[in-house]
Amino acid sequence: MTDDPTAKSDAADLVRPYVITRGRGHPTRAGLDLVSLVIALPGDESPHILDPESTRLLALCRGGILSVAEVAGHLALPIGVVKVLLSDLMDTGLVATRRPIPAAELPKTQLLQEVLDGLARL
Amino acid sequence: MNFVQDPALWYGVAGTCAAAVYVARSRITVRDLRERNRLLAEDVRMRDEEIDNVVRVLLPALIETGDRIRGSLLRHEQLRGTPYAQGIETVVGMFTTAIEDARDRADHSAKNALKAAMRTLQALAGEQQVAISDMQNNYVDAQLLQDLLAIDHMNSQFGRRAQVIAALCGGWTGRQRAAAPLYDVMRGAKGRIRDYLRVEIRMQSNVAVIGRAVEPVALAVAELLDNAASYSPPHTTVEINFQTVPNGVCVMVDDAGVGMHEEARQSAARFLGATEPVGITRLGHPPQFGFPVIGMLAAQYGFTVSVDTRSPYGGMRAVVMLPSELLTTAVDADPTPAAAPRRVARVSRASADVEPAAAVPAAASAPTGGAAALDGELPQRRRRAPRPVEHAQATAPTENPDRSDAETAGLMGAFLRGTRSGRVPETDDKGQESR
Repeated sequence: MTDDPTAKSDAADLVRPYVITRGRGHPTRAGLDLVSLVIALPGDESPHILDPESTRLLALCRGGILSVAEVAGHLALPIGVVKVLLSDLMDTGLVATRRPIPAAELPKTQLLQEVLDGLARL
Repeated sequence: MNFVQDPALWYGVAGTCAAAVYVARSRITVRDLRERNRLLAEDVRMRDEEIDNVVRVLLPALIETGDRIRGSLLRHEQLRGTPYAQGIETVVGMFTTAIEDARDRADHSAKNALKAAMRTLQALAGEQQVAISDMQNNYVDAQLLQDLLAIDHMNSQFGRRAQVIAALCGGWTGRQRAAAPLYDVMRGAKGRIRDYLRVEIRMQSNVAVIGRAVEPVALAVAELLDNAASYSPPHTTVEINFQTVPNGVCVMVDDAGVGMHEEARQSAARFLGATEPVGITRLGHPPQFGFPVIGMLAAQYGFTVSVDTRSPYGGMRAVVMLPSELLTTAVDADPTPAAAPRRVARVSRASADVEPAAAVPAAASAPTGGAAALDGELPQRRRRAPRPVEHAQATAPTENPDRSDAETAGLMGAFLRGTRSGRVPETDDKGQESR
């Protein structure tokens, strides 16, 4: 089954994304993007009745910090759907997300050019 | 002189006797004839009434309903067994056969035409679903996703309608699927009806439905859910519960409507218990596809559906009994381990291809690979230990067997973040960025 190329789309088109998100396309939390990091918080999930997708998401994140894009890849779900699920899990306090470490501030090309011009004039 | 000895007297007596006998006999004859006459007249009247019954009642009823006439064809049971009655039976029988043949032919051609038309629509709905899935995967904008979800939902309903008609015409119920968890089959069914948000699946189950039965069960449950949602107030929920029974699992669909009246219930029970295909021309106007198609699918795939109980909420309870033959506990019973490693394995395979190059400095004890590359030969990949092929998918197939799936994923995440941070981070909030 693992090698069956239809296996993924098979499961995906039996349970459609709108069923998983209950028709919601907008996550309840703003600010999630592809590279936001997802951290599973220690806590008991048993009082919450979770969909299989949310359960899988939690299980994935328990193994280590993943980005939203990676979670979506592993779950084989659209990014937008994963954001909705993540927001729900954040609302129930089962996961937290944080912004990725920003890239080092690189000087602007224009500034470099000016420096170069200045040096050339010396 | 004795009178007695007078022969004339004796002639007279004999004559009188003869006359008396004659009179008596002719009286009897007349009475018999009258009686016969009356009987014959009665017989003619009965036959007239019979033929009248055939022409005015039986044949019009046949034409109207198309159903074989149950009960006696005769009004007067005295005629039973006579050639006349047999003649009537033959005429009505031939008429019935002719009507049935004509209806079967019409039904057959209607079914074939519908089946072909529905196959096209089903294929289109399938294609559209793939296109919608691609869009959902390619765009991350929330508003766009919201709209796509709505379109996706409409497409699913559209696909279901086509599927139902096709199934009723003996056509294609949809493609063969892999075995799927019962919970997913129920969610699949739920997604195909208009009011899917009102449907609540109250429990999870650890059984799965075998591949062959996934579509038929999903389709039948979708019809039950649609029926339940249509006949209950809009603010109420429709509940799905599972109950394990000795030889299978029962799926219960409860609504909080007013239930079905007796006639509808009987009609539903008749369709649900039908063992032969339902004529497409007998579905009423407008045609009711629901129960006939559920009955057909149930008979075809070996599950049973009943609607003869009341739900605890006062509405109808439909019970779908899935026998053990249609169930399995294997493969996808718990989707967590089955689905997640599949993707991880795929990623890991990709990373395994990258790794030797990255691992060259670490593998300093075997510098021949790098050296050979400098000499212009192809680098050779070395394995430290032989590795059984079948493990490649079961575990993360990297050179470090201790690495867990999550760690591999973490590494890939680091790699992804590295490449991203190396690029200009302007594409982040465009919204329409593709994955």
